[in-house]
Amino acid sequence: MLTRSIHSVRRVEIGPATAWRDGALTVSPDEAREILGAACLAEVGVSWASPGEAVRIVKVLDVVEPRTKGPGGGGIFPGWLGAASAGGVTHVLRGAAVVVAGYLPRAQEAVIDMCGPAAELSPFGATHNLVIEFTPAAGADWAEVDDALRRGSLALAARLAEAAIDAPPDELETVVDPGPVDGLPRVAAITNLQTQGVFKDVFVRGASFNGQAPALIDPAEIDDGAVVSGQYGHPSLRNPTWAHQNHPVANALRARHGRDLSFAGVVLCPEPVTAGEKARISAAAAQLCADAGFDAVILTKEGGGNADADVALKMDALEDLGIATVGLFAEMAGPDGTGPPIVVAPERATAMVSTGNYDTRLSLPRMDRALGGAELALLGVAATEAMELPTAVILASLGCLGGGRLTCSPPEA
Amino acid sequence: MARIVHYLNQFFIGAGGEDAAASPPATQPGPVGPGRRLAQLLGADHEIVATVSCGDDDAAGRPEAIAEIVALIQAAEPDLVVTGPAFTSGRYGLACARVAAAAMATGLPAVAAMHPDNPGIDEAGAAPVVATGEAARLMGAALDVLAAAVAKLLAGGVLTSADGLVGLAPRLPRMADRTAAERAVDLVLARLAGDRDATEVPLPKFDKVTPAPPVTDLAHSTLAILTEGALVPDDNPGSLESARATRWLRYSLAGRETLVPGEWRSVHGGFSTVWANADPHRILPLDAARQLEREGAIGHLHEEFLVTAGNGTSVANARKFGVEWAADLRHSGARAAILTAT
Repeated sequence: MLTRSIHSVRRVEIGPATAWRDGALTVSPDEAREILGAACLAEVGVSWASPGEAVRIVKVLDVVEPRTKGPGGGGIFPGWLGAASAGGVTHVLRGAAVVVAGYLPRAQEAVIDMCGPAAELSPFGATHNLVIEFTPAAGADWAEVDDALRRGSLALAARLAEAAIDAPPDELETVVDPGPVDGLPRVAAITNLQTQGVFKDVFVRGASFNGQAPALIDPAEIDDGAVVSGQYGHPSLRNPTWAHQNHPVANALRARHGRDLSFAGVVLCPEPVTAGEKARISAAAAQLCADAGFDAVILTKEGGGNADADVALKMDALEDLGIATVGLFAEMAGPDGTGPPIVVAPERATAMVSTGNYDTRLSLPRMDRALGGAELALLGVAATEAMELPTAVILASLGCLGGGRLTCSPPEA
Repeated sequence: MARIVHYLNQFFIGAGGEDAAASPPATQPGPVGPGRRLAQLLGADHEIVATVSCGDDDAAGRPEAIAEIVALIQAAEPDLVVTGPAFTSGRYGLACARVAAAAMATGLPAVAAMHPDNPGIDEAGAAPVVATGEAARLMGAALDVLAAAVAKLLAGGVLTSADGLVGLAPRLPRMADRTAAERAVDLVLARLAGDRDATEVPLPKFDKVTPAPPVTDLAHSTLAILTEGALVPDDNPGSLESARATRWLRYSLAGRETLVPGEWRSVHGGFSTVWANADPHRILPLDAARQLEREGAIGHLHEEFLVTAGNGTSVANARKFGVEWAADLRHSGARAAILTAT
């Protein structure tokens, strides 16, 4: 049984020493730079962007929630900072996030606005974001840069949470373990991870999940950062590390555990790139759920239309085995919402939840400050300019893992 | 007496099928073909004063054609323009929709008739479209609906779904009370309880395309190579989008034996373009096509290639591109095509 010790972040600042006092998080840029130091990084910048400020963060890569199980790194971000260690107490700096932003090849440009309409759509419009900017060393290998940023941001996130470890928590949360409850249906989550190689990959316990088979995982381990994102594809449709740490479907199932259902567990699945592999992985995942005795499954995706197929195929495969399924989909229905909403739809399993429309246009205000880059390369304009962008560009705005409230419906509904 | 001009394609005026698809805009007095039945249904208070027609390839494939058609319509000084019914015919539907839209844009009331799945639907602009069945065997019912719609419009009425008006019900974004994950739990419990219909997203309906018959004489046919791989000249002069394409472009292959690396670039945003740029033939196989041309396996290679970016492209745009490509290729004489996808 895992306990989350919640420390709510209410104020943030830059200061000479990293510290936590009464809801205020102070970060030492020198210490942050030391933690992120790597031969492939020439420069690292550290600055805060808080909710309500006129700040736009462009070229966002990953976002990590500060968490720790104690100094030394054991148990948190397993495979990166130490081995997995289930249970115990995990300290969480809720309301803060470490945000890495800057150019990497193959990364699709993601935007976080700290005010205006986009701020309401992304979970990161509501967090105090410690933005890490970087300049690669001359001639540095991009994959090494990516790896250094990932290791550094995870270590920094753990270090920030350590500052609060001796402070009284604002709240203690019990993280329900999966297990059967007599007379209640066993409902599990299948979490698809878009694993497409360097710069578009997802890591489980420190290793790429590309090419792996569907696997059950202790959901408390996901809480502790067993799933880390290196996925820089579709901005609105990717699941940053922060989203996995706060796995919305696992948490929603825990909330109903023992009352309406029994939380049965989480299955991680890769999203292969070929149709044949998608079908093979889907059949394997469905069989795994049947073998585990699950009655129902909620499926989530990561990625664009391609990833709809991974959900749709699994939904049909599960229903064929008598397992009730619901899939979460982001719609790609055109700017006016009149196009077909789903790229690849299930045929027999028809229960779907909408997490919004990828194509909805947003008018974003002019900002005072930009982080992550001076230009929004997508439009070739200064990053601070007022601009019109599709929801597609706003990081995690379509909450593939189910954390958002955005949806679509016909006007009369 | 209300004056009506009716727009039809080459087939429905009796000029021929695909053999006459390139025929230019033309006008003739009075009702023709299905227009005669439409005139009967409309009765003595209405008169179809002229029938304007055009071949499908010309109307859907030549940019100036729509303006020429509208000019012929205006010359007959109508009170209302009727286009179709086009049923599920793609090029004809596109032409009917565009003619109706262009007429409306000049202030001339218009109404089009076609099947709700016709790709032309999205092109009708401000013009109302009434629904018909799938094919010409349902002409009788289609003309009944169309005649009633014409009479209502000329009497100053506004068409509704009860009149057969095709409405694209938009799905609009909003904030739900609870998160998607929480709603998913409710939905999965409902499904476990036996509710098989509950969903937030209706299943989309995709049209199924019947493939054209095989090319019988490839050695004497012109073959076109096309791609959705976003391969364009290195400076992307046509500003092709890397995702969510709204346009397609054409580039000449005349005199080219190969695609030289560095002169061409894929701007596709959905995959790593490194290998495509290192050898553009991986996207557009001009080298192999020229080889086949030299061997006599194909008659000729079409002198230009058509290109768009197939990455998050809306179905509506993709359908429109497809119809426009078909018309364009037929117009220019190509009778076979290889479309590479990434």
